[in-house]
Amino acid sequence: MALVYITRITWFLKRFKAGKERQAETGLPGTTKAKGIVYSWANVAMPWAMESTRKKPFFYAQFLIFHIGGVTAAIALSFIIPYAPGLLENSTLVLLLQVSIGLACLIGVMRIVRRVSNPYMRAISSPDDYFSLILLTVWFFFATLSVPNSTANGELHLLTYFILTAFFLVYVPFSKICHYLYYPFTRYYFGKSMGYRGVYPLRSESR
Amino acid sequence: MSKKNNRSQKAEKVIERMGQKLNRQIAGSMLACVHCGMCTDSCHYVLANPGDPTYAPAYKADRARKLFKRHFDWTGRVFPKWVGADTVTTDQDLEELKDIVFGKCTNCRRCSINCPMGVDFATFNRMMRGLLVSVGVMPEGVAVVSKDQWEIGNQMGVLKEDYLETLEWMGEELQDELDDPTVKIPVDKMGADVVYSINPREVKYDPRSIADAAKIFHVAGENWTMPSEGWDMTNFGLFSGDDALGGSVAGRLYEKVTELRGKTLVISECGHGYRSTRCEGPNWAQHDVPYMMESSVATMLRYIKEGRINVDKTKNPEPVTFHDSCNNARSCGLFEEPRELLNLVCMEFREMYPNRSENYCCTGGGGAMSMSEYTPRRLKSAKIKADQLKATGAAAVVTSCHNCVDGLGDVIRHYELGMEVTQLVHLVANALVIEEKVQVAVEEEAAVAAVAAAEPAEVATRETVATEGIADEALPFAGRTVLVVDDEPDQVDFIATVLEDNGATVLRAADGEEALAKARSEKPDLLTLDLGMPGRDVGEVYETIRNDADLENLRVCIITGRPELRKLIYNRSVKKPEGYLDKPLDEEGLVLNVKKVLELT
Repeated sequence: MALVYITRITWFLKRFKAGKERQAETGLPGTTKAKGIVYSWANVAMPWAMESTRKKPFFYAQFLIFHIGGVTAAIALSFIIPYAPGLLENSTLVLLLQVSIGLACLIGVMRIVRRVSNPYMRAISSPDDYFSLILLTVWFFFATLSVPNSTANGELHLLTYFILTAFFLVYVPFSKICHYLYYPFTRYYFGKSMGYRGVYPLRSESR
Repeated sequence: MSKKNNRSQKAEKVIERMGQKLNRQIAGSMLACVHCGMCTDSCHYVLANPGDPTYAPAYKADRARKLFKRHFDWTGRVFPKWVGADTVTTDQDLEELKDIVFGKCTNCRRCSINCPMGVDFATFNRMMRGLLVSVGVMPEGVAVVSKDQWEIGNQMGVLKEDYLETLEWMGEELQDELDDPTVKIPVDKMGADVVYSINPREVKYDPRSIADAAKIFHVAGENWTMPSEGWDMTNFGLFSGDDALGGSVAGRLYEKVTELRGKTLVISECGHGYRSTRCEGPNWAQHDVPYMMESSVATMLRYIKEGRINVDKTKNPEPVTFHDSCNNARSCGLFEEPRELLNLVCMEFREMYPNRSENYCCTGGGGAMSMSEYTPRRLKSAKIKADQLKATGAAAVVTSCHNCVDGLGDVIRHYELGMEVTQLVHLVANALVIEEKVQVAVEEEAAVAAVAAAEPAEVATRETVATEGIADEALPFAGRTVLVVDDEPDQVDFIATVLEDNGATVLRAADGEEALAKARSEKPDLLTLDLGMPGRDVGEVYETIRNDADLENLRVCIITGRPELRKLIYNRSVKKPEGYLDKPLDEEGLVLNVKKVLELT
């Protein structure tokens, strides 16, 4: 996975040259490209900054649970189980992980329903979009079951969880799931341009 | 047989050139979309066309993205169907793409600022436009305007002599207004502190904005000039995606300013013109600009702050709202200067919501005003804008963009909002506090106009005008007969009243046949012709007038609220009209333009 990512980033940086801004900065004094870049990178943590997230707080909350409570926790679990299983003797931690990953699984189901039932979502979805979401949701399900790290009810859940984790290492670099690889770049360039032009940071009086 | 073997020559070129145009910013936008749908509700097309997913920004973007995935991305090359990759094969595919990139997006960038991933759809939509234009696939209006800008140097085909005559005329108007024979609009003055560049729309349809700017510069005591060439700061390359055109147009202006050794290039109120000249031009032209460039909005604000001009906001008592134009605001950060200026020159400024970077497009952006085939779709999508305007309850909407003036004008007419559209230069000029000597002359002129307006309106005959003596001879149109042709009684009444108040004898006709009959029998000096009348085809009527030897001295001024109908006249191989005016009309603009058409300057 790391090898593919390095190859992808190298290809991206070498194949496509960055456009430059030759003109003097616009915008009021104090607006700089550096501020724009930082503001743009921090966008993910500022739901009030964009109309799209501001008007859908519940959707934004789902995003947080899905990515932090789900993806991050489930990835962490794949390291904890083999390398620090003692941590999972703490029942509070187990409960916390199960609740967060379980909620992420529930959100995954909601997102699948949304993608299938909403005509706008259907129109913009490819097989990769559906498969990635279903795969993640199923992975969350088995991760939730695997958190206690117990084979009392068999090993199928743990086996499935780890097979899926291994599959992700192969599938993710070639799917839309690797979008986080591009996030720093797209937000960097967009923020740089908008900061240079004095558009970023966005003002709160717009609403 | 593979798709590549079946691909048309144009489709092949589009793909080949796409590879050359992709830069890191665009490639990132192509790769980063996660199809989350968060951009959907940010688009005015989506909001006005609920249930039609083909307007969703991600859907529109994917029409271009699928090409990128198929031809440049690994996964898309190997598993195209899995990731939604596809190609274009036929010219029909390109036509469908044209409908999306030109007809369903104004490049307003509202979706870009609402994307969690920072996907800048508007920028790569522009790239797609450029690719289609490079193989000759584009709306007719885009081709016509681009051609004018390449060949004549401005996007409205204004000839140099017409431009210079208009400057001279406005200079003379200003001399009369200020009662100061030294006032003029300097052209090609060397070493001026300010070189002022304008939108050709000002020459053709709104020359008063040139005079207003000149008045402000004069009162401010500015050392300024206007260039004789390369004066068009607008740039159709922004809309067409043609970087070569963009660079050429911007380059002409930069070189002229350099030649004149100007210190600051001041750009009149035009959104895409400001963005193209101030922000994008140096990149397109690969030309570093050694002098300052600023919007005239910033210039006017600076004059007030520095005490170079004084303004009296009570002269603009009506409540106004402000429309942030996509190009100079969302793409160039010009948010606060217009507001600061409005609060100085208007009694009541009301915000519309949302505003600033979150404002909705006027729907006339991205070159949409030149693409008449998309007008019904554009006006339908303007419902969002109409609701925004209506909610303010303002009498007028102010905008710093000529494109928005036309776009908002269409919205206001279509949705019957009863508002005016104006620009900051008019408000500032109107609010100017001018020295006493000049003020007296202005008051005398206002008194003359008041006396003329107080005279009872009548349907005058030429005999009546001839016998009425010296008072009427002082009026600008005294002794002239104008035939007003329009099927809307309110329009006819308005035009007739204004012209009669200024001394003209006015005849009326409600359709083409009546117009021809009266033109032949009464031999007026001027005929004003509406283009949207029922009955006989107006273009045919116009051609008949031009081909009639008895009417060879008749001047024609087109007055229409539907600019896309101008092609009825343009497509005729007869002499073009002497003037064009867009509705809604205002009294001052009508009088000025009729004077110009009748050569009474």
